[in-house]
Amino acid sequence: MMDLQSSPELAVLVLDGRPWLLPQVEVASLEPLPDIDPEVRVPHSIGAIAYRDAWWPVYCVSGDLRILSRMPDHRRICLLLDNGADQFGLVCDQVEVLAEPPTLFPLPACMRMPDSPIEALALLAAGLGCATTTEHLARLIATAEHADA
Amino acid sequence: MPEPSPRQGVAWVLTLDFALRAAVGEREMVHLIENPTLLDAPWSPYYCRQILVWNNLLLPAMDLAAWLRGQPAPRERTLVGVFAYQARPEAEPDYGALLLAAIPERARVTDDQACALPEQPSGWRTLAISCFQRGGQPVPILDLPFAFTGGLR
Repeated sequence: MMDLQSSPELAVLVLDGRPWLLPQVEVASLEPLPDIDPEVRVPHSIGAIAYRDAWWPVYCVSGDLRILSRMPDHRRICLLLDNGADQFGLVCDQVEVLAEPPTLFPLPACMRMPDSPIEALALLAAGLGCATTTEHLARLIATAEHADA
Repeated sequence: MPEPSPRQGVAWVLTLDFALRAAVGEREMVHLIENPTLLDAPWSPYYCRQILVWNNLLLPAMDLAAWLRGQPAPRERTLVGVFAYQARPEAEPDYGALLLAAIPERARVTDDQACALPEQPSGWRTLAISCFQRGGQPVPILDLPFAFTGGLR
């Protein structure tokens, strides 16, 4: 699993106003939403994007990472993620790379939930940032049910 | 020969909600904050859904009344205490926050005030290490290291 503490650069993706942190090294590309083909589907996806001679499934998740079957109006960009084992896209409100890596705090033991995708917390200008990895997101998607079904 | 006087200590009596009281040692409470900024954290248990930013640290803000009652309830005021605890002997102190319903009261406690834990809510048996009588009511003493290191599941 990616060690967030050793990842020097973190990308911030904003979902429903909530900032999530991911290792920048796992970001493969940013793609415009019109490039999503809604006809190319796998379970839970909203479509797919052709990238590097392959179809990358694209998913939409809420601010607390629940799978959504319909994309909210404020999603504006698609982030393609690749950790070597998992390749997929995530539609986001906004994506940025932090100039200075934030201080990461381990998730307090009393806040840990089974299957939680959160590895650490950070205080950002945009609020409380939750650090996760592509592996966690892939596991959530694989085991998800639609939150808005 | 005179009877030895009972040992005496000082505790903070905490109001967890409209009815639940608990106590911690005098040195365990380090700060009290009225109307703090609390940040919601996703994927967190119903009794610990918020983070308090304190002294450049991110502290879990735990609602022990919610845990004892099995569900959160709306609060009329926002008051949090910051508490120090040691996860193990010799460890550096860690900190956590508890949601409170009133300003804590300082109380002198002697050994002869010791009493049984309340039977209800049943969670007191998990959460408390001891109990004393005050004003005719039992006041359980919180096991803060247990609560803040993930003992409440």
